Amino acid sequence: MKAHLATNGLEKSYRKGKNRVPVLQGVDLEVERGEFVAVVGASGSGKSTMLHVLGLLDAPDAGEVLLNGQRIDSLPDRKRDAHRNGTFGFVFQFYHLLPELTAIENVLMPLMIRHGVLSYLSKRGRFRAEAIELLERVGLGHRLQHTPNELSGGEIQRAAIARSLIGGPSLLLLDEPTGNLDATTGQGVLELLCDLNRERGLTMMMVTHDPQIAARADRIVRLADGRIEEWAPALA
Amino acid sequence: MYKYLLCWRYLRTRYIALASIISVLLGVATMIVVNSVMAGFAEKMRARLHGVLADVIVESFSLDGFQDSDVVMARIQQAAGDEIEAMAPTMELYGLMSIITPSQTINRQVQIIGIKTEERSKTGDFAEFVLDENGKRIKPTFEVSESFRSRSPAGELLQSMDPDDEFFEAMKKRTEEEVPRHGAIVGYALATHHQPGAERDIFLAPMGSKVVITFPSAGRTITARQGAFAVTGFFQSGMSEYDSMHVYVPIEYLQQLRGLEDGKGGGAVNQIQIKAKAGVDINTLSEKVRKAIDPMRPMFFVVRTWEQKQGPLLAAVAIEQSILNILLFFIIAVAGFGILAIFFMIVVEKTRDIGILKALGASTVGIRGIFLGYGLSLGLVGAGVGMAIGLLFVHYINDVEQWLSSLTGHKVFDDSIYYFKEIPTLVEPFTVAWIVGGALLIAVAASVWPAQRAARLHPVQALRND
Repeated sequence: MKAHLATNGLEKSYRKGKNRVPVLQGVDLEVERGEFVAVVGASGSGKSTMLHVLGLLDAPDAGEVLLNGQRIDSLPDRKRDAHRNGTFGFVFQFYHLLPELTAIENVLMPLMIRHGVLSYLSKRGRFRAEAIELLERVGLGHRLQHTPNELSGGEIQRAAIARSLIGGPSLLLLDEPTGNLDATTGQGVLELLCDLNRERGLTMMMVTHDPQIAARADRIVRLADGRIEEWAPALA
Repeated sequence: MYKYLLCWRYLRTRYIALASIISVLLGVATMIVVNSVMAGFAEKMRARLHGVLADVIVESFSLDGFQDSDVVMARIQQAAGDEIEAMAPTMELYGLMSIITPSQTINRQVQIIGIKTEERSKTGDFAEFVLDENGKRIKPTFEVSESFRSRSPAGELLQSMDPDDEFFEAMKKRTEEEVPRHGAIVGYALATHHQPGAERDIFLAPMGSKVVITFPSAGRTITARQGAFAVTGFFQSGMSEYDSMHVYVPIEYLQQLRGLEDGKGGGAVNQIQIKAKAGVDINTLSEKVRKAIDPMRPMFFVVRTWEQKQGPLLAAVAIEQSILNILLFFIIAVAGFGILAIFFMIVVEKTRDIGILKALGASTVGIRGIFLGYGLSLGLVGAGVGMAIGLLFVHYINDVEQWLSSLTGHKVFDDSIYYFKEIPTLVEPFTVAWIVGGALLIAVAASVWPAQRAARLHPVQALRND
């Protein structure tokens, strides 16, 4: 059986002034369906970059990204947009909700992007019901009409998780989802993620630098010198 | 879908952007007001010009004109009779008018127009422009009323005299000298002196007073001819050019004085004024008339519509209006740069949001669409509110003028200059549409560059913008 998400010799470097700074230098990774993988590594080791390349937010200089064995990084823009919208769900460290919209509108955003006006409006009732269900699932059933500045950090991150799920993705890409939260709130968010992983069989890939949080994953990999090393959970 | 939602939310939450469209709003409102007022003025002016002139004017190059006006008119009637409502032969020439007051003689350069009042009233609005001393409209006539004579100095003396008095006949002759037998309708500005700030104009030549008009005789060797007339009315069209130049006199007497009468009660005329029936295209009519009479005497007649005859004046107004429009449009263009600057700021501020939207699958086209749509909706708000304000202002312009006048204590719109009781306005829907469309175009054009920049943002760089 093919890996759900795999990479083959991913390379990526950044230009800083006149110098090229290599970040990824041949990343080979395979993630099985339903697996929860934590990526650890020092700051600046390229964890986020790897996540961005995997989620098609950034293009690799070399190598390939495979989804169910199919190469996806070289697809035309429109298809890459569609993958970001439907296949991947993103959760970022800095919450990233749109400040002008209410919690429920933020959650509905991926569906609004996916559908045109008429198509969206015709299915609006069903979409709203789904969004409410998801917000209730993350514990925000009472906060539907609040804007981000009326919500706490933990609540915003929960809303962002609900948003990442509404499009029915098979893969969640989490970039330090608890990094900006206090320990208790972070723990709560992590529990939620683990539950979702179990309930929905979601494949999850979480970047973190906190070994305690990484320990909740099925598998931990370490990114060092632009390459992936397996890391036994026991070592954490 | 998200584009519309975001446009709407940005529109409702970014007040700074709304500030940027105030200039669009003001530009649109100003342009609508200025265009409406200018169109109103032009319309009024055209109406007045047209009121004085008939639709189509046949003139002879020669000032002495032609004797066979009835033949020419019959030919015109035959060629285009069903399109013509009325025709009036007239004699027009230049001369001097002397107003003889007890203390001095005032000479003024005039345009003498010999007419028959009933005929002239049928080819234009002539009858509507004739007033008495009190500004009341009167029936145009050249008939000199006896009351003028009895009110003259000699006439007053005559009343107290015995008809058997040996000087009675001499005094009677004197009254006829003081108040001539023939009447003249004199341009209002010619007969009066307007003192700035004065309540009433001073009449130099009141009703019944004597004016002497000097003009060239007919023929090759021109000599000066003179005729004395009594003022029987004042001509006030509202066009100062006419009101300060025109003197209307009975055509038969003019013909007689110039030596152009035919001895059968008629005489030469140098103009035929033609009024077209309603709905007739005067340009085609003019062409028809020209074709009909030109073969009679080649290179003798000039046939023009009133618009052609007044071409330079009408063109001047049109040029003024278009220059003003160009200048005012710059205001909106400046507003465009305001939108550009503020949009750039908004794009920078929204960099992270753009990154999120891209991460959620929004396309480049979609992101561009948000900002173009935002620009368009700002333009719509600006142009829409501007249009409403402009139209309201035009509608209540005279109330605004009154209010401003009472506020500043002096008249903003001095009606004595234009003879308009109120500021004339004319809202042309096409012009309004053009202004609003232009403003929208500028708003969208100003948002193209920032929108393009937003669309090009790399999602990762946008997300890093913390």
